[in-house]
Amino acid sequence: MKQPTAETAPAAAGDPATAQRVESPAREAWRMFSRNVPALLGVFLLALVLLATLYGKLFYGGDPFEIVWAPYEPPLTTPSVPLGTDYLGRDIVAGLLTGGAPTLTVGASAALITMVIGISLGSLAGYYGGWVDNLLMRITEFFQVLPALLFAMVLVTLFSPSLWTIAIAIGVVSWPQTARLTRAEFLRIKELEYVTAARAIGARNRRIIWKVILPNAAPPLIVSATLTIGVAVLFEAGLSFLGLGDPNVMSWGLMIGANRDYMLDAWWPVTFPGLAIFVTVFAVSLIGDGLNDALNPKLRGR
Amino acid sequence: MTPLLEIDNLRVTFDTRHGMVTALDSVSLHLNAGETLGVVGESGCGKSITALSVMGLIPQPPGRIAGGSIRLNGEDLVGAEPARLRSLRGSDVAMIFQEPMTSLNPVLRCGDQIAEAVMLHQNVDSARASRLAVELLDRVGIPAPAQRARDYPHQLSGGMRQRVMIAMAVSCRPKVLVADEPTTALDVTVQAQIFDLLNEIQRDVGAAILLITHDMGAISEMADRVAVMYAGRVVEQGKADDVLDHAEHPYTRGLIDCIPALGRRDDTLREIPGVVPPLHLLGDGCAFASRCAHADRRCLAQKPVLTKWRHHPVACHAVEEGRI
Amino acid sequence: MSLSFILRRLGYGVLLIFGVVVLNFLLIRLAPGDPAVVIAGEMGGATEEILDRIREDYGLNQPLTTQLAIYVGNVLQGDLGQSFFFNQPVSRLIAQRIGPTILLVLTAQVLSILLGVFLGVIASRKPNGPASAFVSIFATIGYAVPVFWTGIMLIILFASVVPIFPIEGIQSVRLRDAPLLVRGLDIAHHLVLPAFTLAVVYLAQYARLSRASMLDVLGSDYIRTARAKGGSERAILFKHALRNAALPILTIAGMQFGNLISGALLVETVFNWPGIGRLAFDSILRRDYPTIMGVLFFASAAVVVANILTDLSYRWADPRLREQ
Repeated sequence: MKQPTAETAPAAAGDPATAQRVESPAREAWRMFSRNVPALLGVFLLALVLLATLYGKLFYGGDPFEIVWAPYEPPLTTPSVPLGTDYLGRDIVAGLLTGGAPTLTVGASAALITMVIGISLGSLAGYYGGWVDNLLMRITEFFQVLPALLFAMVLVTLFSPSLWTIAIAIGVVSWPQTARLTRAEFLRIKELEYVTAARAIGARNRRIIWKVILPNAAPPLIVSATLTIGVAVLFEAGLSFLGLGDPNVMSWGLMIGANRDYMLDAWWPVTFPGLAIFVTVFAVSLIGDGLNDALNPKLRGR
Repeated sequence: MTPLLEIDNLRVTFDTRHGMVTALDSVSLHLNAGETLGVVGESGCGKSITALSVMGLIPQPPGRIAGGSIRLNGEDLVGAEPARLRSLRGSDVAMIFQEPMTSLNPVLRCGDQIAEAVMLHQNVDSARASRLAVELLDRVGIPAPAQRARDYPHQLSGGMRQRVMIAMAVSCRPKVLVADEPTTALDVTVQAQIFDLLNEIQRDVGAAILLITHDMGAISEMADRVAVMYAGRVVEQGKADDVLDHAEHPYTRGLIDCIPALGRRDDTLREIPGVVPPLHLLGDGCAFASRCAHADRRCLAQKPVLTKWRHHPVACHAVEEGRI
Repeated sequence: MSLSFILRRLGYGVLLIFGVVVLNFLLIRLAPGDPAVVIAGEMGGATEEILDRIREDYGLNQPLTTQLAIYVGNVLQGDLGQSFFFNQPVSRLIAQRIGPTILLVLTAQVLSILLGVFLGVIASRKPNGPASAFVSIFATIGYAVPVFWTGIMLIILFASVVPIFPIEGIQSVRLRDAPLLVRGLDIAHHLVLPAFTLAVVYLAQYARLSRASMLDVLGSDYIRTARAKGGSERAILFKHALRNAALPILTIAGMQFGNLISGALLVETVFNWPGIGRLAFDSILRRDYPTIMGVLFFASAAVVVANILTDLSYRWADPRLREQ
């Protein structure tokens, strides 16, 4: 006997109304995202951080390394140094405006490196399976064993700190999660009918991987990429804080690290850069959560 | 004689993203001691909601019992104290669910899950409850019950798991046993065994069974009386033989035509064209009108009321007017 | 759980640790410059005499494979090399500092899981209530705050505003010769801020995860079965829901261990906590490679052990995995 599909929720039973207003997934995702208040707050905050980092110098000049005032000048007391000065008498605002650039650059490029390594290895493992999968997964597990920050510290120290070394080091320690996610998506999608259909019409493996499976695996990967940026920013801040960043470039983490020994004399030089890092990562993760809700509607409400 | 269980004019609503919908509307059913009432209909017709209402297990919110009463031995369960409902659940009213695969807790041993039900309602210690659990497993026809009691649900087959569910449900000799599609997830041969077991248990324990099913075949095998539901309303009701032999509502006829009969000339599986309309799109007319070959203008405009015209109560303008 | 599984898992763990040893070896050789100089430490101003001794000890004049064999042989004997900065064997340096790190990491882990699960369970009771909103916001904030900055903010707060907790070190100098109990309490007092700082990040994540996990479990069929048995909300929560919801939490707890060690590195640096994280920081500033490599080896081995323990306990907690 042909049975109707099992459905317990009364309101969800076969809904012809939804069939009438078919919407492209991208449009629907955008509609969801643009109604998501926290996500929009994230976009706003991130835009603020980016604008300040890109164009702040135009309106507020000043070398963050230059000693411009007496040390330990508290915030909101002197118009020429609005947020005060650090233990050497360097301007905090100048540091905040220039200190975002290395953090954001490293964050974005490290996330890019993470995604490239993770997606490449994960898709190969998931698509080919067998010994390829076995080998790549063992490698992934091996990298997951290494405590990421410690390993990145070792890499940066061995290969002299520069923005590139730091970005690569962060990428090298962060890819395993992306690889696992990609593999899981590939394992799921490669069993679906349209992949079988593509194979049946004689599509090559490379085409199936890039043109058929990857676009369908994109939603969770986009979310993961966003969140990876946040993790990479925190990583860079941690390394700079420990004094392992590029010593010639002012960054938020470096500001905190340099003023740490004097934090009980002056709270502001360590507080404001930390707030800047927090706002950046907070914005990115709000966007990530918003994308997750918009792109993976099944998980909504979690 | 007052019936054991009497559902009167029950109305249940749900808050959904389409606004408030009425999942059950003026549903009236009764169940006498020891008999089996079949409630039949397709998915989304409200039969599972009816079962959950009787158990007091409607998820609230989003669900809400908006009116009517459910009387067990004269005691109204709608608006009863939660503690009172808990003490009735599992002892006076017990339930068997559709999915034996997911309805048992995967991290607890089968025997312990039955013993838990025993201990909740009977004043026995855990050793005694465990022994009772083994006896119950034996009673529902599980071989080597002492060993199976120590098994986890995933170690048993679907049929065995459903037997465990039945053992759990009858552990406190309930007066009313609600069986929600108890055989849908099982193989055909196992289905027959489970029906036999339910019949046996019913004689044994003297429970009345409220059998929820989409399968007219199950009704003919099990039920004394039957209520056919569509879109949250009862559309036809009567003695099972009578309804099966003299089905009046076009929907009931459709359901009966769906039973695959041996030796019927055409081998095709039949089905009723169309689907149950979503509840938020129900208008003023008969909910079945969009799928009904006999529908006319009145059917689209006015809801028919359950009334006895010929053999038994039926809600259909076409029957009333003698058009079918 | 079979012995052969445990042995296989252990064997794999040994293989992973061996991999870390090989990686350490390769990193030193891949680093630009003379490995002997790298080993001696760039800041050490090593004499030619010392460099010659290093070349001799590590077999740096011999083929790479021989060098690897010597290195692995040394590690197997517990010899992680000599720190030229501290002028002590690396293994002894680590042994001196491992206690405080284990204390810090385990306290933070237990604290974050207990508080996180507690918050998550409370939030799951009302998925749209204020507690849920709090957990979501708190989780996002906790994830976005740099752990070293949390530590610094707490230090500023507790140093000047409410000086009730010590802000650095592991014990007070004046209590160093006090009776054991007093010293224990003193260490616990010193532990409060670092452990809480480290716990905050993970606490937020566990709260979010256990909320999602509980919502998932509370909507499952077997919870409905437990309700149908007449179990109290309390019994349903603790006996049925929490055990199932704990499974994903356990997985994440195991996976977080490596991150926790990374976090401990920052927290130890901020609070002057004399553990291996602080040791790593000090040795990196001095380019003391044998010590850095020793810490990397040791921390990775700790993660391997933690992963094996998680794996085994997961299999113990989930009967479905036991006999595989």
